[in-house]
Amino acid sequence: MRVIVIGAGEVGYNIADILSKEGNDIIIIDTNEERLKDISENLDVQTITGSGSSPQVLKKAKLNQAEMVLAVTDSDETNIVACLLASAQSPSPFKIARIRNPDLNRESILFDKAHLNIDLCINPEREAVNDVINLMEYSGASEVIDFAGGNVKLVSFYVDPECDVVGKNLQQIMGTYPEGGDILIGSITRGNEPIIPSGKTVIKEKDRLSVFAKSQDVRGMLKFFGKKAEPSERVFIVGGGNTAFMLAELLEKKLIDTIKLIEKRQDRCEMLASRLDRTICLHGDGTDQDLLKEENIQDADYFIAVTDDEEANILSALLAKQLGAKKTISLVNKASYNHLIPIIGIDGVMNPRRASIGKILHFIRKGKVISATPLGDEKAEAVEFIALETSDITDRPLKEIDLPKGTIVGAIIRDGEVIIPGGDSIILPGDHVILVALRSSIPQIEKILTVKLDYFG
Amino acid sequence: MNTKNILYILGSLLFFLGLTMLLPLLCSLYYREGDAAAFLYSMAAAFCIGALFYFLFRPTNGTISLTHREGFLIVTAGWFLAALFGALPYMIQGVLPHFTDAFFESISGFTTTGATVIARIEGLPHGILLWRSLTQWLGGMGIIILSIAILPLLGVGGMQLYKAELPSPVKDKITPRIAETARTLWIVYVIISIVEFIMLLTGGVDVFNAICHTFTTMATGGFSTSDASIAHFHSAYIDGVITFFMLVAGINFTLHYSLIMGNFRAVLTNSELRLYLAIILVAVILVTINLRQHTFYEAGESLRYASFQVVSIITTTGFTTANFDNWPALSKIILLLLMFVGGSAGSTGGSIKCLRILLILKHGYKELYRLVHPHAVTAVKLGKRIVYPETMASVWGFFLLYLVMTIVASIILTFLGLDIMTAFSSVAATIGNVGPGFGGVNPSTTYGEIPCLGKWVLSFCMLAGRLEIYTVIILLIPEFWKK
Repeated sequence: MRVIVIGAGEVGYNIADILSKEGNDIIIIDTNEERLKDISENLDVQTITGSGSSPQVLKKAKLNQAEMVLAVTDSDETNIVACLLASAQSPSPFKIARIRNPDLNRESILFDKAHLNIDLCINPEREAVNDVINLMEYSGASEVIDFAGGNVKLVSFYVDPECDVVGKNLQQIMGTYPEGGDILIGSITRGNEPIIPSGKTVIKEKDRLSVFAKSQDVRGMLKFFGKKAEPSERVFIVGGGNTAFMLAELLEKKLIDTIKLIEKRQDRCEMLASRLDRTICLHGDGTDQDLLKEENIQDADYFIAVTDDEEANILSALLAKQLGAKKTISLVNKASYNHLIPIIGIDGVMNPRRASIGKILHFIRKGKVISATPLGDEKAEAVEFIALETSDITDRPLKEIDLPKGTIVGAIIRDGEVIIPGGDSIILPGDHVILVALRSSIPQIEKILTVKLDYFG
Repeated sequence: MNTKNILYILGSLLFFLGLTMLLPLLCSLYYREGDAAAFLYSMAAAFCIGALFYFLFRPTNGTISLTHREGFLIVTAGWFLAALFGALPYMIQGVLPHFTDAFFESISGFTTTGATVIARIEGLPHGILLWRSLTQWLGGMGIIILSIAILPLLGVGGMQLYKAELPSPVKDKITPRIAETARTLWIVYVIISIVEFIMLLTGGVDVFNAICHTFTTMATGGFSTSDASIAHFHSAYIDGVITFFMLVAGINFTLHYSLIMGNFRAVLTNSELRLYLAIILVAVILVTINLRQHTFYEAGESLRYASFQVVSIITTTGFTTANFDNWPALSKIILLLLMFVGGSAGSTGGSIKCLRILLILKHGYKELYRLVHPHAVTAVKLGKRIVYPETMASVWGFFLLYLVMTIVASIILTFLGLDIMTAFSSVAATIGNVGPGFGGVNPSTTYGEIPCLGKWVLSFCMLAGRLEIYTVIILLIPEFWKK
C-alpha cells in the first residue's frame, strides 16, 4: 500500500515508522529539510521536501497511486487544504487529517463527502482525554482500553511489590483466581520490552500487566491484584489549555465529585471559570506546595498535569504524589520518557501523540479488523477482528492453531456474550476475536486472518 | 557495535557470493578445462563459512537495525571478504599461485578497476575468464546493493548499507522502499546489459566473449578476454558499441530509470549529465586533433581511437584499442586528468565523479560572484535545489582526501623504486578504478612487476576508490572504534 504522510512531526514520524515496518510504501512530505534528512536516515521511506498543500508536491509524490493520505502537520488549515487538494487530484485515497481546533470538530458536516471530503478527523488532545476519562472509572489501573463496544476491557496496571502474585508464574496465579480464571493476561511489559506470556512466565514487581476481562469483572480483577477499583471522586487538574478544558468538561459530565483546576494565567482562569460549572478554578502554580496543601491534595484520587511544558508536568506530578495524591498522570508526548514513568513513580501518562497513532492505526486496520491499539512501549498491539469462514483459525481448538510466536487470543465475543478463552476454546466464523501480538508479527497475523487491509468497507 | 549482527550479515553475504560461483562452475564443466575443482572448492569454502556465521549469529527476533558505524564496517568488510574468497579460484587453479597476486586480481575485479597481474590472459580456462568478468559485473552495481535487492533480511538495516556502498552527495531514492530501489537499479542494469549482449552478438562476437565483455563494459570494469583488449576484435562496429555502452554505464542509473519510465525532462535538464557529455566532447575533439597531427592515423581513425579511449578512461573502464602510452603529450595529459574526473554519481564508474566536479566548479564561481557583489545572498544550486553548506563541505572533504590518498600512495610507490610516471599513474588508475596507466603500467604491460607491498597499497586504493574513500578511511580513525 502506498501512503502519503504530510507533516514529519512526532505523529507523522511514528505512523510512518510503524507502517513502513509493516511493509507499506511511505512517502513523507515536509517543508523542514533537516527533519527529513533525519527521517531518511532512520526509516525506509521516501522523503519529499515541500509543502503538503502544494499541488505540484503532491503530484511528485504520485498521489494518484496512493491509497491513503495522512495530513498530520501542526496546522489545521494546512491539513485541510492538503486533503482538499488530494481529493481534487485523485478521489480514491482515504484521507485522514489531524484537526485540533474544537470549533472545527463540532461541525462534523464540514468533513463529509460533499464538502471537505475528509474520511477521518483526529484530535490528539480529545483522544488522549477520552483515554484518561476511561481510566478514572478504575483508580487502580494505568490504562483501560475498550473492546467490543466496552463489553471487554483491556486493563493495564503496574504490579506493586507487596502484591501476592510477585514471584509466581501465571499458572499458579490463575489457580488461585476465585472464579476459575475468567480473565486473561495478554501482555507483560517489563522495562521497555513487551512479553507475550505463557503459563510459565513469572511475574516480577514493577511489571506492567495488560489483562483482558469482561467489564463487570474488572473491579474484582483489580482487587485480586491488590489495586484500588473504585471510581475516582476528587480530581486535580494542572493547566488551563484546551486539553485541561476538555478534560474538566467531560469530568463534570461523569459526575465526579470534586474537580479542581490550577492555572497560572489570571485571564485564562476567568475564562475557564465562566465556561465550566462545577469545577473550582484556582489561580496559581501547579508546583506551589502551599497552594496544593491548602486545597487538600492529600485527599485527591487523581492529579493530572496537562500544561504545555512536559518536564514541568512530570515534576508537578511527582510533587503531588509526594504530598499524598493517590494517582498522578502527566501529559508527556516524548516517547523517550515513557519507560521512565513507572520508575520515577508516576502512575500514568496522557499521551496525545500515542492516542492519535492508536486512532489512525485503528482506521488503517479497518475492514475486517475492528480496532487496533498499541500497548506498552508500542511494540505490541491489541487487535479486534471478525473471524472469517475462509481464515485458518476457525472451527478448531486454539491450541492447534499455528499462530506466530508471541500472540495470544484474549477474548472471543459470540452474539454479545464474552468468552475468555482457554486452549480448548473454538473460534466460530462470525465471532469477534481480540488478540495481543508483538508488532513485528502483525503482518503475519493479518495474512492468517486473510484480512485484507481495506479502508473503504 | 553489535558484532553478532555484523557477522550474521557478512555470513549471508558470503553465502550469496558462493552462489554466484555457480556460473563459472557451470562454464568450466561445459568447457572441461580442468578448472571446475577450483570453483567447487571455493564455493564450498564460501558456503561453509557463510553458513556458519549465518546460523551461529542469526538474530532471534528477526529484525536487524544497523547504526551508521556498523553500516560502514559491514560494507568495507563485505567487500574485503568478497575479494578474499574471489581470489580462491585463481590460487587453487594455479593461475596466480601467490596470495598477493590473486587478491590483487580479485579486488581489481570486484572494484571494477581492471588492473591485471596476469601476463598472458589468452589460453586461460574459460571458467576463470568468466569469473574475472563476473566479479566486475557484480561489483559494478555493487554486491551489497544486490544483496539488499535480493535478501529480505536487509530491509531495515539496508539504508545504512546502501548509503555506505553508494555514497552520493545528493540523495537519490527513486522508490519509497530501499529494497525496491536496489531492485530497480539492478533491473535497469540487467536490461541494459542484455541490450549490449545482443548488440555484440550481432557484431559477430561469440557468445562467451559477448557475455564477458558485456559484464566488464556495463560495470565500467575493463577486464578483457584477450591481451590486446578490445583491439583484438579489429572492428569499428564493436569499438562503437562498446564506446556507446561505456558512455551509458557512466551515466547515473536513476536517469536511465527516468528514461525508461518516460520522464525525458529529468534527463534533459540534468546538469551533471550535461557536464559529463561536455567534458567528453571537448576531450574527444582535442585528442582527435592531437592524434591527427602527431601520428599516422587518418582523420576517421583518429576520431575512432580518440573517442574510444576518452570514454574508456573517463568512465573508468580501462578498455584499450591502442597503446595510449605512445600517444603525444597533450593526449596523455588529457587522459591522465580524465582519470580524476570519472563517471556520474550513481553510475558504475568510479573516481571523483562529475557531480562533485560540478559542485566544486559552482562553488568556485559563487566565491567569485561574491567578490563582485559582496552583499549578495547566494547559494550553490543543483537544478532547483539548494546544496547545503554541509554537503559542500563533504564534497570538498572528499576531494581533499582523494588527492591526499593519491599523493601518499604515490610517494610510497616511488619509495619502492618505481619511476614517477608509473607510480603516479598506477595510483591514479587504481584509486579511480580505471585500470591501465602510463609508463610501467601502460596498456601493453601488467601490474605484475610492481613489488608486493606496492600491490597491497594499490589494492587498498582500489577498495577505497570504489567505496568512495569515506567508507574505508573512516575505519582507520581511532574515534570509530571508541565505545
